[in-house]
Amino acid sequence: MMRKKTCVAMLLAGGQGSRLGILTQHEAKPAVPYGGKYRIIDFPLSNCTNSGIDTVGVLTQYQPLELNAYIGSGAPWDLDLTNGGVFVLPPYQKGKVGEWYRGTANAIYQNMAFIEQYHPDYVLILSGDHIYKMDYNAMLQHHVRHGADATIAVREVPWEEASRFGIMNTDSEDNIIEFEEKPKKPKSNKASMGVYIFTWEKLRKYLTEDEADKSSSNDFGKNIIPKMLADKQVMVSYSFQGYWKDVGTIESLWEANMDLLANPMPIDLHDKKWRIFARNPGYAPHYIAEGAVVSDSLITEGSEIYGHVKHSIIFSGVKVEEGALVEDAVIMPGAVIRRGAVVRRAIVAEDAIIGAGAIVGEETGNIAVVGFEVELPAGVSVSAGQQVDDKTTF
Amino acid sequence: MKDVMGVIYTGDNDARLRELTMTRAIAALPVAGRYRVIDFLVSSMVNGGMRNVGVIMQKNYHSLMDHLGSGKEWDLHGKNDGLYLLPPFLTRENVGVYTGILDALRSNTNYLSRSKQEYVVLSGSSIIYNARMQDFIRFHLDSGSEITLMYSKNPSIQRDEYGTYLAVGEDGLVTDVESDPAKPSYPNTFMDVCIMRRDLLRSLVDKAVAHGQHDLIRDVLMPEVQAGHARVTAWEYTGPVWLIDSVQSFFRFNMDVLNSETRAALFPADLPVYTKVRDEMPARYTEDVTCVNSLVADGCIIEGTVENSVLFRGVRIAPGAHVKNCIIMQDGHVHSDAYIENCILDKQAVIKRNARLIGPDAYPIVIAKNVVI
Repeated sequence: MMRKKTCVAMLLAGGQGSRLGILTQHEAKPAVPYGGKYRIIDFPLSNCTNSGIDTVGVLTQYQPLELNAYIGSGAPWDLDLTNGGVFVLPPYQKGKVGEWYRGTANAIYQNMAFIEQYHPDYVLILSGDHIYKMDYNAMLQHHVRHGADATIAVREVPWEEASRFGIMNTDSEDNIIEFEEKPKKPKSNKASMGVYIFTWEKLRKYLTEDEADKSSSNDFGKNIIPKMLADKQVMVSYSFQGYWKDVGTIESLWEANMDLLANPMPIDLHDKKWRIFARNPGYAPHYIAEGAVVSDSLITEGSEIYGHVKHSIIFSGVKVEEGALVEDAVIMPGAVIRRGAVVRRAIVAEDAIIGAGAIVGEETGNIAVVGFEVELPAGVSVSAGQQVDDKTTF
Repeated sequence: MKDVMGVIYTGDNDARLRELTMTRAIAALPVAGRYRVIDFLVSSMVNGGMRNVGVIMQKNYHSLMDHLGSGKEWDLHGKNDGLYLLPPFLTRENVGVYTGILDALRSNTNYLSRSKQEYVVLSGSSIIYNARMQDFIRFHLDSGSEITLMYSKNPSIQRDEYGTYLAVGEDGLVTDVESDPAKPSYPNTFMDVCIMRRDLLRSLVDKAVAHGQHDLIRDVLMPEVQAGHARVTAWEYTGPVWLIDSVQSFFRFNMDVLNSETRAALFPADLPVYTKVRDEMPARYTEDVTCVNSLVADGCIIEGTVENSVLFRGVRIAPGAHVKNCIIMQDGHVHSDAYIENCILDKQAVIKRNARLIGPDAYPIVIAKNVVI
């Protein structure tokens, strides 16, 4: 028998992230690089480790290869354990039936056996779409203190934006009295972060009932939470303060990267008490050559800078050749910016090559994107908001 | 190459490294911005397919143990074989203090006899290289010789004194070995790396120690070559190699790595050098900074001027500070308007506001660990 765990985390990493356009053509959203050396999933995984939650199931189904390889044994997050650790959980055949995950709740339902192994009191539900540092253990204490059946993490959003979110209406004791998905006239500005803690016995019951309901779309936000509220279960909100960014679109991913260049950083990645762990590619320190100009940027191991880098995020193994200019840009691992190329307000994906003298992006307008392993011919231009993949012709 | 094990001896003489080796072995010296000397040696062995690597430790081995840990970073934490840390110990046969590698091997004879591999690669630890070990092993197996030595003609290994030089015939046969000559007769510097059968090593060690001999080169290799008892061949490593045995050679190595071609030769894409990971965020440059011809590790914050320097993880260069031709180890901090040139700052050293510290080119100033100036 497995040793009992107080709380098991389930990380929903199956989303396609279609709003990230060509960036998620070959990898799932949680595997998308962020912040110079991280991937989005490093944040929830590191939060788990730092919160003392050492058993994590990662539910994948869209383009899982990259994510599986990245998570591996879980060693970078200290999640390679004898008791517990990180487990990648793709959909699988059960008897004669096999099916994809139909919704967030169904994904957890299909992995109830995994959770049951640990006889947990609580289950933490996470998603792999956000950049934030959060102490899940503090949230768990809040859940226990309130004797809650479910606790939903919320953050206060500007009132004018509240109608874009799932809004929790609460009383003065943090009890959730109503949940409204994208309300036209919001009564509260407490937006759900998609981070839930459930008392496992309750969740098991609701997941089983939800599965039996053929009309349900098997989703936490649409079905499980409204049902629990209707049944007058104890539902409380947990207010989160601090940096939180949804990186679901090209613009927001770019913005979240640029946020790291603000002084002071809105999310402290130097914090020794709350490290964000990542798989390390094992390169030498980066090199800034004679004649290079670097300012207001983040640069990491294995990169070689011969040109001009301004207000940008440079990932590992990137090369910026002489006379190239990179400004307000995100250059992902292994990309090469050839001589004289200009990259502005753009995201250049992994292992892409920007040919000599090419121009990517414009000083204003939407973010231009050059996709995974694309070799952009010398001298061509990519306009603001344009996305270039290997099928684009010039 | 499952049939080859590696043994690294870390008891090398370190008198000329001054404060840098006060609290650590040469093998544990921080180099090239994020590594320790031993990372290159262990990574070479692992990349060459060796799954059993023993590290014989002598004095000041705490930092070495802390760094190597379970060997996880080198994938040496498996159930079969893996990384063996061999600290000195006192028993009836073992004095705990080794006078050289022979003593050390004799004391660890149990480890040698318990290991399953047929061949052993022995390496010293005051040396940095990134050799393609498969080629070295293949050469040895094909040569049919008893012992194969690794040597270099690369100018990067140049040294003013001390060293072992080999006369190598066209067929790779070693015809003469000379140790510490005032003027070397041969251009081939022995790299303190050799390969032989494990049982041969055991019998050579046993014989030598039984006769009161301590020196692998003078007491074992030289007589074998001169008397022609064993067929000794040599394999040339053509990559860059540095002996780290003085402050000057340590400084020169770090400065050489600033050269892009040298760096490419030392870090080929298919021979990665692994090290303990610290999970620092990428280095951060603020506005209006100057940084040229420098290696900068993760976790650094650069707000001043950096020229021809190597900055390790977590170094901070404050606004107005100027760093030229310096090596600044982990978490070093140069405060506003300080100027330092030709300095080596050991870990956590701090240069206070407005300080000026200029070392001569040929004799860099060493600031010891945790010192505040």
